[in-house]
Amino acid sequence: MVEKGPIKFSVKSLKGSGISLEDIEIAIGRLAMEEEWEPMGPTPMPKITTLREWDMKLLKRYRPFYMPFCDLCCLCTYGKCDLTAGKRGACGLDIGAQQGRIVLIACAIGASTHTSHARHLVDHLIEKYGENWPIDLGSDIYVEMPISRLITGIKPKTLGDLSYILKYVEEQIVQTLAAAHTGQEGSYLDFESKSLHLGMLDHLAMEVADVAQIITYNFPKGKPDAPLTEVGMGLADTTKPVILCIGHNVSSGVEIIDFMKKNGLGRPGETIEVLGLCCTAHDLTRYDEQAKIVGPISHQIRFIRSGAADVLILDEQCIHIMVLSEAQRVKTPVIATSDKACHGLPDMTNKPVEEIVDALVSGKYPGVLILDLEKAGAVAVLTALRIAPIRKKFKSLPDKADLKKVAEKCTKCGRCRRNCPIDLPTDEAVFAARQGNFDKLAELYDYCLGCARCESECPRDIPIHSLIVSAAELKIKTERYKIRVGRGPILDTEIREVGSPIVFGEIPGVVAYVGCANYPEGGRDVAIMAEEFLRRRFIVTVSGCSAMSIAMYRTEEGKTLYEEYSGAFDAGGLVNVGSCVANAHIAGAAIKIANIFARRPLRANYEEIADYVLNRVGACGVAWGAMSQKAASIATGFNRLGVPVIVGPQGAKYRRLYLGRREDRESFTVYDARTGDRVWVGPAPEHLVYVAETREEAIVMTAKLCLRPNDTTKGRMIKLTHYVELYKKYYRRLPDDLHMFIRTEADIPITFKGEIMEYLKEVGWEPWEKPVVDPTLLERLIRVKK
Amino acid sequence: MSITPWQLGNVPGPKTALKLTGEVAGKLLKKAKNPLIIVGAEALKVKVGEKLLLDYVIEIAEVAKIPIVATSSTLSAFLERGVEPALSMGAIEITDRLRDPEWSLDGSKPHDIVVYVGITYQLQSQLLSCLKNFAPQIRTLSLDRYYHPNATWSFQNLSEKDWIENLNILMKTLKEEKKKD
Repeated sequence: MVEKGPIKFSVKSLKGSGISLEDIEIAIGRLAMEEEWEPMGPTPMPKITTLREWDMKLLKRYRPFYMPFCDLCCLCTYGKCDLTAGKRGACGLDIGAQQGRIVLIACAIGASTHTSHARHLVDHLIEKYGENWPIDLGSDIYVEMPISRLITGIKPKTLGDLSYILKYVEEQIVQTLAAAHTGQEGSYLDFESKSLHLGMLDHLAMEVADVAQIITYNFPKGKPDAPLTEVGMGLADTTKPVILCIGHNVSSGVEIIDFMKKNGLGRPGETIEVLGLCCTAHDLTRYDEQAKIVGPISHQIRFIRSGAADVLILDEQCIHIMVLSEAQRVKTPVIATSDKACHGLPDMTNKPVEEIVDALVSGKYPGVLILDLEKAGAVAVLTALRIAPIRKKFKSLPDKADLKKVAEKCTKCGRCRRNCPIDLPTDEAVFAARQGNFDKLAELYDYCLGCARCESECPRDIPIHSLIVSAAELKIKTERYKIRVGRGPILDTEIREVGSPIVFGEIPGVVAYVGCANYPEGGRDVAIMAEEFLRRRFIVTVSGCSAMSIAMYRTEEGKTLYEEYSGAFDAGGLVNVGSCVANAHIAGAAIKIANIFARRPLRANYEEIADYVLNRVGACGVAWGAMSQKAASIATGFNRLGVPVIVGPQGAKYRRLYLGRREDRESFTVYDARTGDRVWVGPAPEHLVYVAETREEAIVMTAKLCLRPNDTTKGRMIKLTHYVELYKKYYRRLPDDLHMFIRTEADIPITFKGEIMEYLKEVGWEPWEKPVVDPTLLERLIRVKK
Repeated sequence: MSITPWQLGNVPGPKTALKLTGEVAGKLLKKAKNPLIIVGAEALKVKVGEKLLLDYVIEIAEVAKIPIVATSSTLSAFLERGVEPALSMGAIEITDRLRDPEWSLDGSKPHDIVVYVGITYQLQSQLLSCLKNFAPQIRTLSLDRYYHPNATWSFQNLSEKDWIENLNILMKTLKEEKKKD
């Protein structure tokens, strides 16, 4: 009989020709050596179908809602097959399953990307620090890697353990992706279960990546008072050589800073500016807060064109594919450092540093590939020092005086607008510039995604993105804001403080603003949403591009939210965890609440912990500008753990949501673990993935998705106060589903009592028979079975 | 010549929306057994001549006696005008319910024609795609200025002037048809 996982198993009896064995227990590999820190849970290192039953419980309540982005399938040579409205492809697949399949592929890409990132980091760090380098996150963090413990059953102690965990993730991604091959999986629900599996694996890989870099690079280890640093286009001191790091893997940037220190060039900003763009920027400032953050992905092309950077270092992910040609236009050499993003550059890894620097400074090569990170760091610094006086910040942006002349070519054909991902009225702005009015162009700066797609579509070759940037010159010069350095994990001590108020609802919720910068109406919306919940004393956690966008907004007091609110994981705290991979700490905090506060067994006990989070931890993610496949897998990983996510209108292009129906009572019926009774608990949380049309809708839905069946009376009253206040603020009346959340009169927000009582009378509300239960979806957790 | 989607890359597949005119829209709505209008937040920003799109839609709904679903924060704008929408719900949530062949606002007969108007282009396109693929019993109309290939009928990409003209014809047709009744 195989028991508890793939590696450890026992055999009661084995009989064959000539042999008879009884009670054999065999353990193979890493788990056999694992310290018994807690009894092994039911699902160590789950395979594709191990948690399928849990997924089906979720999918029964939160049904997949598909919005095909394309009605065809073009993945095999039978096709293209038209799958519109129920037609089946040559392989037999229908449009629903095809959507599930595409989402699975997206999640596999996302999970692979984080895993590959983690693998690159871990291998590099093992080479540098040795596989026995200890995992030590300080005395305030005992549960150092909650996701790893929960999924694998391993309590990792060294870098070598992280490598072992990654092997499991890598193997599972391969197994799961294989389901997308023609003639494999056919059920949309099973595709979804596999996507949920990939999302879970993605979180594991992110945790490995971030912990590996925290322990070796000495990033802040959960410091609530991590220092403030700067973000913005206007912060670079261009009188100095400037190195810009783009991507997500900070190793090459670390080598740059280390080389500078070793060679008497001081810290970033002293003799050379070291800037970052995208998540690698967060991690550079975690390494040394004197490094600076240019901004989110939208700032990539515009900053390169400004000519401020003397050297570009590329690592991996979120690199604009035109980066090399853009850099060539401003004579900035490029150094690629990842085997996943070589950009056609010559491999100079084995050449001497001096030779590579000569080749870059002389312009022999516009860029090089260097896969030895230490060497890449040295080349970047030496090249920057030599080339800066030659380049003289050569830029490729038109002067403001030339804007009108450039715009005169515009015929207002509208192709720029009709290819803009967010439908910006670029045609009107360029046409206005033709008449000498640059205000419309400048206004677009705050909304523009910076993809420059408008330019590649313009039949008159007008550099539209450059026009926008030049018109906003003044705005850019003053673009300088404060942001708190990514603090990494949440302390166990913080969890002990807030566990109870979160679970009982007295802290009304934990809201996470995460993900990319594909905002429908600018990054300001994310800051406004965050501010709304900070004022209401929710815990607000942030990461990645969203964390940067939140910084680029000032309150009425003229401060950024990071200057106004503390960095503690507590009511009214604004917690920047760091880069994309640091998202693992947000999921980790939810898991730690179940483990540290509620003392639920953690080890390989995924279902029970996810069940706990779904029913008790009022957390909600908001990925307002989600764009990438990584964002898809991150969100799906949160979903499997029981955390709902709201995406912006652009997120509809992910094709799939998980929606509940409040009127479907059966789907919101749970077990009362104390009695085994089936009890309706109201639609809390109502959805698992939701698209909001506007910022206002997202705000109201966020407050609602923080409701949980386990809320105490006081907690429910507090949460409903926020929900009702926000609903009234934006919709001007009481919510029409309010009666579904009020269990007894004691749940009613005091400030609205009269009005709500009247409403309840109108809808025929009666107090619930069983207002407080011990909610679970898992039959095995019922303590007294009927 | 075929009509191109407003967002040029938004090419869904072989089945694309038929070209809608104001007159056709008027006749379709008049003949519909149980139509529904879903109004999104763009209706608070977009103008039809001097009026807000929202006010124009209210007029259409009143003339044709079609119930309105207000999505997102449009509810407050309706209430300010003294108009009570039949339902206030997220654009996603109402579209989810419309997938069910038996579902309707009042629980009587299912909706046969659903009008989408004033929902941001990318989101509306996806909502229409959902119904095209999973609710064959429903025919959808987009009354926005831009061609939506995922609708059953959509205006082609129109200048503001032509769009207003079509909406005026739609209104006129509704009123004329009403007189004939």
